[in-house]
Amino acid sequence: MFKKTWNPYVAGALSGILLILSVWITGHFFGTSTTFVRVAAVIEKSAGIDISKNEHFTEKKGKYGAAALPDWQLLFVGGILLGAFISSRTSGDFKIQSVPDMWRKKFGPSPLKRGIVAFFGGGIGMFGARLAGG
Amino acid sequence: MTLVYGLITGILFGILLQKAQVLRYDKQVGAMRFLDMTIFKFMLSSIIVSSIGIYLLNDMGFVKLSVKGTEVGAQILGGSLFGVGWALLGYCPGTAVGALGEGRLDGFWGIIGMLCGAALYAEAYPFIKAKILPLGNFGKATLPQALGVSHWLVIIVFAVITLAMFFLFEKKKV
Repeated sequence: MFKKTWNPYVAGALSGILLILSVWITGHFFGTSTTFVRVAAVIEKSAGIDISKNEHFTEKKGKYGAAALPDWQLLFVGGILLGAFISSRTSGDFKIQSVPDMWRKKFGPSPLKRGIVAFFGGGIGMFGARLAGG
Repeated sequence: MTLVYGLITGILFGILLQKAQVLRYDKQVGAMRFLDMTIFKFMLSSIIVSSIGIYLLNDMGFVKLSVKGTEVGAQILGGSLFGVGWALLGYCPGTAVGALGEGRLDGFWGIIGMLCGAALYAEAYPFIKAKILPLGNFGKATLPQALGVSHWLVIIVFAVITLAMFFLFEKKKV
């Protein structure tokens, strides 16, 4: 349990069992991206932006809107953060790092450069993920 | 209670992701560059096990499948954009959150970017719904249905191909 790394085949298979149990017990498949849409709606709303006429946030009985929170998936996403934190802290694997090693070798040590590319990568990736339906 | 299940499931999944070392830019981009197949080992093992278990429970009537619609246009375009974004960020949405949990601050900038991407998608949605989602829309299709074969045949073929890939990964030590 406190070993830093587990065999990826074993950890993957255990994740598969976790998914089976989740679907069986609660009917929930794993997913995270819809939570980003709902949280974006919450942020826009609290920033005073009028999203009451936004088609995406209001269609399907507000499934993608701010009012759908809190729900299973939000807690699932929060749990991933917490689980990764607990796991890395208890095994001594936790490390604050702004620039990944492979990035540093190719593109240098600037956290700003890395942060900007990460920001735009996240934006493009999420837009694509939502467009593709997942 | 649903919320508690979500939290517990997330924590366990976060632990497994962290232990498998998949919350790392080096592993994710390493897989794209065919240097390190850890991500594939983790994901494909998970898919084999869960597809067998979920279809077994489905056959026994204990669970209901949640089949997504097949929209070829949106999925090719969206999948390609996702690939570009994934390569730049080095994490997918779930692993960006997990990466932040183990101290990787670039995951945080990725999350902020993803919230912006999600908001942008909501703004662009009327156009997307009218022009892109209808392209090549086949409804809720599955591979076994499209091929007219038992889902177990598809699962077995998938498992055999995957195991052959695992054998290759171990032989090449990637």
